[in-house]
Amino acid sequence: MAHSERHEELVAASALGLPLLGEGERAELDRHLAEGCAVCEGLLADFRGAATALAAGVPVATPPPELKARILGALGPARVAPRETSGGLPWKALAAAAVLALLVLGVDDARLRRQREELRSQTAALEGKLRTTETALAERVLRARVLENDDVQMLLLGGQGPQPDARARVFWSPRARRGIILASNLAPLPPDRQYELWVFQKGKPVNAGVFDADPKGQALFESTEFPLPEAEAFAVTVEPRGGVPAPTGPIVLVGKTS
Amino acid sequence: MSQRREDPDRSLMARVEARDADALAELYDRHAGRLLGLARRILGDGGEAEEVLQEVFLFAWRSASSFDPGRGQVLTWLLIATRSRSIDRLRARRPASRPEIRSLEEIAEGPAGPDDIEAASSGKQWETICRAAVGQLPADQRRALELAYFEGLTHQEIAARTSTPLGTVKTRVRLGLMKLRERMRPYWESGSDGP
Repeated sequence: MAHSERHEELVAASALGLPLLGEGERAELDRHLAEGCAVCEGLLADFRGAATALAAGVPVATPPPELKARILGALGPARVAPRETSGGLPWKALAAAAVLALLVLGVDDARLRRQREELRSQTAALEGKLRTTETALAERVLRARVLENDDVQMLLLGGQGPQPDARARVFWSPRARRGIILASNLAPLPPDRQYELWVFQKGKPVNAGVFDADPKGQALFESTEFPLPEAEAFAVTVEPRGGVPAPTGPIVLVGKTS
Repeated sequence: MSQRREDPDRSLMARVEARDADALAELYDRHAGRLLGLARRILGDGGEAEEVLQEVFLFAWRSASSFDPGRGQVLTWLLIATRSRSIDRLRARRPASRPEIRSLEEIAEGPAGPDDIEAASSGKQWETICRAAVGQLPADQRRALELAYFEGLTHQEIAARTSTPLGTVKTRVRLGLMKLRERMRPYWESGSDGP
């Protein structure tokens, strides 16, 4: 359809991150952009930047003094992790070599024995630390992949039916068609069952993938083939392992975008 | 119109991309106050605004490569990230509780004169252009934009809040953004000219 003021209105709302609802406004804008309207494509980015002019009138705040240290402290693992993983774990090799050297020499001196124990416990502690770091890093990488898109939306899902205490957050980028669900308090399932994520459009659920919860009831799942650019609601059901094309099991998590 | 000037933020971003934490610290010193001001304007004075600030700087750290110098300045990029995260949280909060949102009048006539702002020169340039751009908007367009930008209200909600027909609200938002875009253009160009 030819470019019109109506499209510019939709682009303006979209640039401000306002939910487009009713009469399929989002579908209309997507269709128009998909048809390759260069005017609207340029406007979308320009409007997003232009809106930040409004922030110039906001008084500058004074961050609490400890906040900077907290933020810089949180960078730590991301900076050292690549070296640890790509470098073949030099500390581990060194610690193992040291323990081996002590054993081979058959040194039984009390002082050396104490050092050997210290080395062993340090190695165990470092291994534990590495596992934690790797998990945290995987989470960060996963989140960053979705969050780096500037159209990311977030929704909280609440527990339903058999699992009222379940909680989840969904982050998704309509443009990148990627989404992440971070869930907690999920009940353990029998081995032949899995959780399945659904995205609703026009009242109909579409499969966005299956996932398992860890023994603590937590789950982190990235849906790389997010089925729909626009989502009205998200739900999680319990389904046969591998998933089903349409939900059959009980809904345990649900949230609506408006 | 456009003037070539070295934006210190750009070289900082390049260093952040190369995993230089000192550069992130410098970026923080330059902009944290303004970003936190924006997050508090949207979310109120609770701890959530600080959480948003932390998320934004971690986002900048991890996703520095996604910053596109051809499209605006670093400050604009950080403001967009701050605003979208703040509005997400505001929406997630609804309808259970609404924060005490300071009146628009207070913000519009707020004390943030140029002397209050410790931003470096590029920040001052940005500020001057923005204030002029917003100041030249007709009052009804500005109000519609502020309700959308700071409170995340939809067209329908703005229409209800301001007792204005829906069609008029849509027009105000569109025209307001069009005008801001025209006035902001020189600033974008001064930062993103090719050789």
